[in-house]
Amino acid sequence: MGIASVLDPVRRRHPGGRPHHKLDLEGTKDLKLLKGPWSKGFAVALAVAYFMIPGSLEEQTLRTLCYCGVYAIGAIGLNILTGFTGQVSLGHAAFFGAGAYCAAYLGSTQGWPFLTYVLAAVVVGLAIGGLVGPFAARLRGNYLAVVTIGLLFLAQHLFMNWETVTGGGNGVTVGEAAIAIGPLDFRDLELGGLKYTFPQAMFWLIWAFVALTALLAKNMVRSRPGRALQAIRDRDLSAEIIGVQPTRYKVAAFAIAGACAAVAGVFYALLQNYVNPSEFGGRIGLFLSITFVAMIIMGGVGTIYGSILGALLVEYGRRFIAERGGDAPIFGIPVEKGWVTTGELNGILFGGLIVFFLLLEPRGLAALWMRVKIWFMSWPFSY
Amino acid sequence: MKKQPWLRLLALLMALALAAAACGGSSDDDDDAGTDTTAADDGGDDGGEEPAGDPEPGPGFDGTTIRLGVLTPTSGSASIIGNPLTKGNQVYWDRVNAEGGVAGKYQVELDIRDTAYTEATAIQEYNASKNDVAMFNQILGTAIIKAVLSQMQQDQIAGAPATLDADWIREPNLVPIGGPYQMQVINGVDWHINENGGEGQKICSLAQDDPYGDAAQEGLDHAGEELGFEPGPRVDFAVATADFTTQINQLEGDACEAVVLVATPLDAAGALGKAAQVGYAPQWLVVSPGFLKLLFAGDLAPYAAENVAVLSEGGNWGDESIPGMGQMIADLETYGGDQVPDPYFAFGYNQSRAVHQILEKAVEMGDLSREGILAAIQEVESLTFDGLLGDYTYGPIEERDPPRTSTIFKFDAAAPTGLTSVAEVESDAAMSFEFDG
Amino acid sequence: MTALVAGAISSDAWIEAIFSGIALGAKYALVALGFVIVFKATGVINFAQASLVLVGGYLCWNFSATWGWNFYLSLLLSMVGGAVLGLLLEFLLLRKMSGEAPFTLIMVTIGILFVIDNLVTAIWGAEGRDLPDPWGLRTWKWGDVDIAVADVWTIGITFVVLAAFFAMFRFSTLGLAMRASALDQEAALAQGIAPKRVYQVAWACAGAVGAVAGVMLASGSGSLNPALGLIALVAFPAMILGGLESPGGAVVGGLIIGLVQQLTALLAPEYFSWIGGGFEIVSPYFVMVLILLVRPTGLFGQKEVRRV
Repeated sequence: MGIASVLDPVRRRHPGGRPHHKLDLEGTKDLKLLKGPWSKGFAVALAVAYFMIPGSLEEQTLRTLCYCGVYAIGAIGLNILTGFTGQVSLGHAAFFGAGAYCAAYLGSTQGWPFLTYVLAAVVVGLAIGGLVGPFAARLRGNYLAVVTIGLLFLAQHLFMNWETVTGGGNGVTVGEAAIAIGPLDFRDLELGGLKYTFPQAMFWLIWAFVALTALLAKNMVRSRPGRALQAIRDRDLSAEIIGVQPTRYKVAAFAIAGACAAVAGVFYALLQNYVNPSEFGGRIGLFLSITFVAMIIMGGVGTIYGSILGALLVEYGRRFIAERGGDAPIFGIPVEKGWVTTGELNGILFGGLIVFFLLLEPRGLAALWMRVKIWFMSWPFSY
Repeated sequence: MKKQPWLRLLALLMALALAAAACGGSSDDDDDAGTDTTAADDGGDDGGEEPAGDPEPGPGFDGTTIRLGVLTPTSGSASIIGNPLTKGNQVYWDRVNAEGGVAGKYQVELDIRDTAYTEATAIQEYNASKNDVAMFNQILGTAIIKAVLSQMQQDQIAGAPATLDADWIREPNLVPIGGPYQMQVINGVDWHINENGGEGQKICSLAQDDPYGDAAQEGLDHAGEELGFEPGPRVDFAVATADFTTQINQLEGDACEAVVLVATPLDAAGALGKAAQVGYAPQWLVVSPGFLKLLFAGDLAPYAAENVAVLSEGGNWGDESIPGMGQMIADLETYGGDQVPDPYFAFGYNQSRAVHQILEKAVEMGDLSREGILAAIQEVESLTFDGLLGDYTYGPIEERDPPRTSTIFKFDAAAPTGLTSVAEVESDAAMSFEFDG
Repeated sequence: MTALVAGAISSDAWIEAIFSGIALGAKYALVALGFVIVFKATGVINFAQASLVLVGGYLCWNFSATWGWNFYLSLLLSMVGGAVLGLLLEFLLLRKMSGEAPFTLIMVTIGILFVIDNLVTAIWGAEGRDLPDPWGLRTWKWGDVDIAVADVWTIGITFVVLAAFFAMFRFSTLGLAMRASALDQEAALAQGIAPKRVYQVAWACAGAVGAVAGVMLASGSGSLNPALGLIALVAFPAMILGGLESPGGAVVGGLIIGLVQQLTALLAPEYFSWIGGGFEIVSPYFVMVLILLVRPTGLFGQKEVRRV
């Protein structure tokens, strides 16, 4: 038993010598989720980390990771839309906000159970995405991008004025929303007599959903619909000729992106404990949408794991700068007393991070990882 | 078949990790909180012979230094209020620290966080700093406070709001100071009607479309009831509106002869500038956060001097008859660096003074923990400001009563803060306002 | 002002709304023009245009208020400053990224936007400032209608700048080179037109035009403050509905949006109060979407030729 047992069938089948481990004559390898021993080992390591992390990190870091998870869910959806289908969308924040309000209104004000309002958020996200989808059929590229910005303004207007649901300028607290799946109540988690704090419980809940979303997304992407989406991204006229209906898939892509963002929004609202209409529309909403786009670009457009990496990089980076920015030695002077305030420094560092990262590796962390992987794979012939 | 050993191993690891997480989590909390009940006998008695004993270390208090949080906009358009206010906080504590600190023993440190005047960022900064501070010395922004209030109630943390909404009066977690916006508007309108020749005029409002605007509107409505007039329409605008043409046209179109302006300085200047441009000159009653000397000083100065009254509290900067004024000016000199005289600086300074009184009470009661501070807030009988602001009656939460006096200022480019007082008003209408929270 | 019946909109209000709409539209047109120049030459939507607008305004303030120079001289110098900044950005950053995917380029310009916006507040402070323009708050009375002098000058200067720009585009060699390069880069290359040159000129023009936009936006009753960059958000619908490759379209789009905004703000509380407050912020996008439904590439945009 052990590692060797994984290689045994290969050894048994090729007593005369093994063909190169990358040789794949049937093409079935591409469809597999976990290819080979390294992937499987990594999956196990992730599972272990999932359970171990809440015990080993302090509360503030856990909180940040929770937010990273929230953005990861949204980023996966956006990557399906922009990375795999090629539709630029700067309106992601609107879907995110819709989900947040599902949690706030349905969960907290109306008192619906957790899974119900998450499901409602999915439905709302699908619906709104489906409504925006047809625009994509008519408009291309930059035009579509600006129309989606319009969606943000419309959403802001709606959120501000629909006071029964959103509370208008006063916002809505989410404190009453139940976060319970069956016997597990994540607001006050107690397993086997041991109590867990809110960030710990939410970490498990959120990253479970990240894993679920990633799995669903990956399954979709490596099968026929995924190929259809990529065909539309690469050459949509040719795709139409070979029988891929572009409108249908574009609408579906928008709907899926909307659903993912809505679920992300639900968890965001639960973490923040308060939802205010101004944060999802208008200027601040545009900043949020841009953050999502930054995540998928820096993580790797067109990959699922890239979305998660990008979310970790951008959100963790932002919190890191916000926390440590005050200690940064600018010409040897602590920032609060220098000529740049923390807020401004955060902005400068955030923008600078984006620019320099993209200068170095325009195709994101996933491409960086591919480069590393290929270097190792083709060793000793790597260059 | 092959998967079984993996699964068993995985399950074992899971169980271990869960156990570690639970223990790790609670002990992390303990570490952050610092409460160590077993060490109480060792830690607390540094020569404390009072019956209450010295306060034990707790969140934000390690036995020698008290840490206070500050959630303020240090960037963005609201930083023109946030920065001087925070400076005021800092200068007061610098002087107190130089004199020995709270109760002559404990130094005070501020943990300043930037909220950029957005609720989402404020919530995150609140969560980031809450475990390290005893209470919050400043939280700026009505909407911001509404955002973090439920969390504060859950965490049992106190905070001093840097806004003048009347809703704070009945909140046990909050330490408001100064007469609320509702008072300012009521007194301002009363002054205008009774002493400024505004009898019978149509009084409207131009307000920010958020809780801050709502607070002032509440005051206007009450004034209408008490003084017997029907307030004119409320014209809304969003923060950072680029062009006020339509709003001004609306007010003009409704023939408003006096307008209560509820805005932040940038928007106030924009609206007034537009009004000046089109030649619309009602009596403007500007609620205190709308004023900034720098913005009113340029082209706007003659129009402002004619038509603008700023509703606030306290006396003129540099007025020696006010007991606390000399001390504040001296402190600004010594510790203020290049901070110029500023009404927001004065507010921040007084805010720290209020928190100081709460902390003194808490030390007297021997308890600087979260619960101790909350209890101290209701034990303090009143907050005094040496005449810089009106005395605030504290005590049990239902009996808290803010000062009901306001000062009417006119724009005066020659004055250090740009404002000179013309009247002090404590109207009957203001006295009759009930704060139910 | 004539006494107005509460609830009706007088002709004065209409005229004032229309006039201020045109003035506002002129400012949007300038901003949109900056976007379109860069897009036409390089195919990149330059989100950093908003920061060029901001820097231009602050440079003018620095020259005229802090150093006390003549206002018109300051305006010209700030245009030069804006052009220099544009050239700098092109040289340092965009040159290296020229082959990358469009999203990546847009992201880089967004990064630049964050950096420059925060640098501006770090250097000049976040307070609103008063630009010492010679027009101040003066108005001309035309019967019962009040027209702001600043608005008149804005419209005037905008059209001068636009005319100069179009003249350059139409009649100078440089303009011809830009147009050729935008039509077909390879053919232009074959004719000896270096794309590098075209990019440089495009960015310099965008910087200069942005600077004028910034100054005009901050003049009159407006103030110079860091929120000026947000104007760019409204310029997006302007340039889209005019067509991304058409400078003339940008101007027309800007004027339309300005008028739509002011008229919405005028009429909505009267006739459409059910729609809630603040709809004038949404209305430009609304109009843009309507126009795009009819003409998906904008009013004057080129129909994209798609090959299989």
